Amino acid sequence: MKIHVTEYLDVDLNSEKWCCNRCGHEIENARENYKKGCLIAEREMNEVHPPMASGQAFSFQPDTDYCRLIEIYCPSCGVMIENEYLPPGHPLTHEIEIDLDALKKKYLESQKR
Amino acid sequence: MQGQKYGRDTEIVQHMRPEPMTAREEAAQAGIDDTEFEIFKHKMHMIALEGKETTMKLGASTAMRWGDVAFGIFTGQGDLSVCATGIYHHAVLGQIPIKYLIKHWVNEPSVGCKEGDSYFYNDPFYAGVHNADMGLSIPVFYKGTLLCFVGAAVHTGECGGSEPGGTVTAAKSKYDEGILIPPIKIGENYQLKEDLLNMLAAMNRDPRTMILDIKARLAAARIAERRILEVVEQNGVDFFLGGLRRILTQTGEAAKRKVASLNDGVYRQARFLDTLGEDNGLVKINLTVIKKGDKITLNLEGSSPMLMDRPANSFFQGILGLSMVYFCGWLFHDLPSNNGLLEAIDWVFPEGSIVNATGDVSTSIAPLVQVTFTHGMFQCGARMTYATHPSRAVASWFSGFSIPTFGGLNQYGEPVADITPEINATGCGGRYDMDGVDAAGAFFATMADCSDAEATESDRPFIYTFRNYFDNSYGHGKYRGGAGVGYGVAVHDTNFFMLGSHGGGAKFPTTQGLFGGYGLPALFVRRVQNSNYKELLSKSDRHLPARLTEVFTDQNPEKGDVWHQNISAVVKPAKDGDTFYAYAGGGAGFGDPLEREPESIIRDLRNGMVSAWAARNIYCIAFEALSLRLDKEATELRRKAVREERKRRGKKWADFNKEWEAKRPPSEILTYYGVYPDPGTKAHGTDAAPVAASA
Repeated sequence: MKIHVTEYLDVDLNSEKWCCNRCGHEIENARENYKKGCLIAEREMNEVHPPMASGQAFSFQPDTDYCRLIEIYCPSCGVMIENEYLPPGHPLTHEIEIDLDALKKKYLESQKR
Repeated sequence: MQGQKYGRDTEIVQHMRPEPMTAREEAAQAGIDDTEFEIFKHKMHMIALEGKETTMKLGASTAMRWGDVAFGIFTGQGDLSVCATGIYHHAVLGQIPIKYLIKHWVNEPSVGCKEGDSYFYNDPFYAGVHNADMGLSIPVFYKGTLLCFVGAAVHTGECGGSEPGGTVTAAKSKYDEGILIPPIKIGENYQLKEDLLNMLAAMNRDPRTMILDIKARLAAARIAERRILEVVEQNGVDFFLGGLRRILTQTGEAAKRKVASLNDGVYRQARFLDTLGEDNGLVKINLTVIKKGDKITLNLEGSSPMLMDRPANSFFQGILGLSMVYFCGWLFHDLPSNNGLLEAIDWVFPEGSIVNATGDVSTSIAPLVQVTFTHGMFQCGARMTYATHPSRAVASWFSGFSIPTFGGLNQYGEPVADITPEINATGCGGRYDMDGVDAAGAFFATMADCSDAEATESDRPFIYTFRNYFDNSYGHGKYRGGAGVGYGVAVHDTNFFMLGSHGGGAKFPTTQGLFGGYGLPALFVRRVQNSNYKELLSKSDRHLPARLTEVFTDQNPEKGDVWHQNISAVVKPAKDGDTFYAYAGGGAGFGDPLEREPESIIRDLRNGMVSAWAARNIYCIAFEALSLRLDKEATELRRKAVREERKRRGKKWADFNKEWEAKRPPSEILTYYGVYPDPGTKAHGTDAAPVAASA
């Protein structure tokens, strides 16, 4: 049984895996940070947020001394599961730590009923 | 006045949740018929709504006129039972000033609390946010019995600080912030005390607005008092007291049931603020949300240390207040907005941190710290609710500020000091099934309005050069964020005027996307001094920019001393004809932009809501430049190729981290951050903070 947890992530309650919602690829143990099973890339800031004015101290582009853009992809289908705006070198966020035992109890028991 | 530090009562601010039920309230419960209670509840909400609308109609400040208003009915113990507001932080902050005056003044012979009295306050230590939020409350008596309090809390945008407009960007301590008044009695026998009004007027750059706003709050409160007494005449005192309490009790119980329906788990979102005050630097607001059973715990351990000589600090109560923007507006959108909701919420704040200010440090730009936190709350909330309540899982609205602040003489030679209202025209975040709303409002004041440009021009010395949707203001995504507005103003018919800006996100964007959607670009302000704008306008020059995008092109004929400045900027002199350009941010994107329906992008191109650059490079569609005809086959191939490119570009976790963890921001921007990357601040009595650990 799969639970649709975020836009691109399912949790398979039987195999206890994070799965890609789009292609079904098993990404990572659901008790771990799903990002450990993803592909991760730092993007050039101007590829996503280009400046609209040149020669000025401030423009529309974030300052890369402060902020970098990290993208997290499904290794199978390449969908962008999440991205993060982080200071250089700041650890990636373990943003979702599902209580798997509580989830299994909630859904598998309701299925039995 | 025992137990106070720097003149502030640190005990009363701990009374965030409802006080215990009184014996009389308890005894009244048995006599309250369910149907009669529903009618009563509706009447009370209508009374509060009338109070809110009356306050807005009578007020003078920008925020009061355009809806930054909360009107509440409080129990006799001070808890906020009924609240009409779109500015939800007051739902759990409004009760603290009432509890303060009950504690300190009701039995104080030199002050007291009688029929016809009124009380005023604006110290953010009690009202939670910043000293521009000012409130007035009155007790309501029936035949000598204190029934309740009613009152309005509203942003009046001038506080007499060392900078105009309610925000002191360069504040070094609270003594720079201007008026900071704990709850005081401002009126007796149904009359305001003219000597106190005179004092407040003298401490403020815009006395007319200050006094009109106070009178607007009082007038609305008196109307509510009349309506409440009509209800009490009909239902009786015990029904009224028991009914107000029941609203609070039911709210708490319903909130717990709602929380229990969500999946248990731990949700994290560190957020980063690039603004210390007038200068830039990096600080961290670290949020961990633990949802277990019928409780949600907000843990902010690991946030940056308190800033001793900069104004980017918040009191813990302000952070809790801003959590209600998420809770009242989104998770508990179908429940009353009152402090009963806190029965479902616990909190952990680290000592000596940016989110738990103490002593006499400045909190003048606390709202910026608070909305940075709220952004994290929205991100955690979306991940917490998507599985069970997907319509609650939204990408963030613009979660920063971009607000021109000003003071001086207007075009009629009258003193004015305030802000402009475009912060109420930010975009809503993308949702799981649709785009965000364009120029939806402010996420913290969803019912507020940005006013007609003409209304602002009528008594502010500005001419709007343009004000409309800006296609580079929002985050791209499968469902894009709603657009914010770009605008320009020219100073008009005054040479005694100061203009600045309040906000953050010039270096580090305030608002990131959700589930693969992108965040916002950086914010900044463009100023042109000694501009030829008015001369060009007098000739009806057709090349003058009609939207923000055109400001930055070579075809823009405006000349003068041009510079781009930090969005957080102390006021500077501005002369007749000088121009100022900025934008209110849009909402964040939801989902991978490659999943956006190509037809939606073509529609946005036709409407000027997306740039051709973004259509080609972010959404990766193929189309004919002139006709905007979509090439479906080429689009499909292009998107497939981009996905393959991602897989080539992406690195495995260990490989990525090996390179990534060697990076670090320059040391000069970490001066106020604390230990990088984990500042390590802890709550009193806690050791390690496992919930705050990262990957």
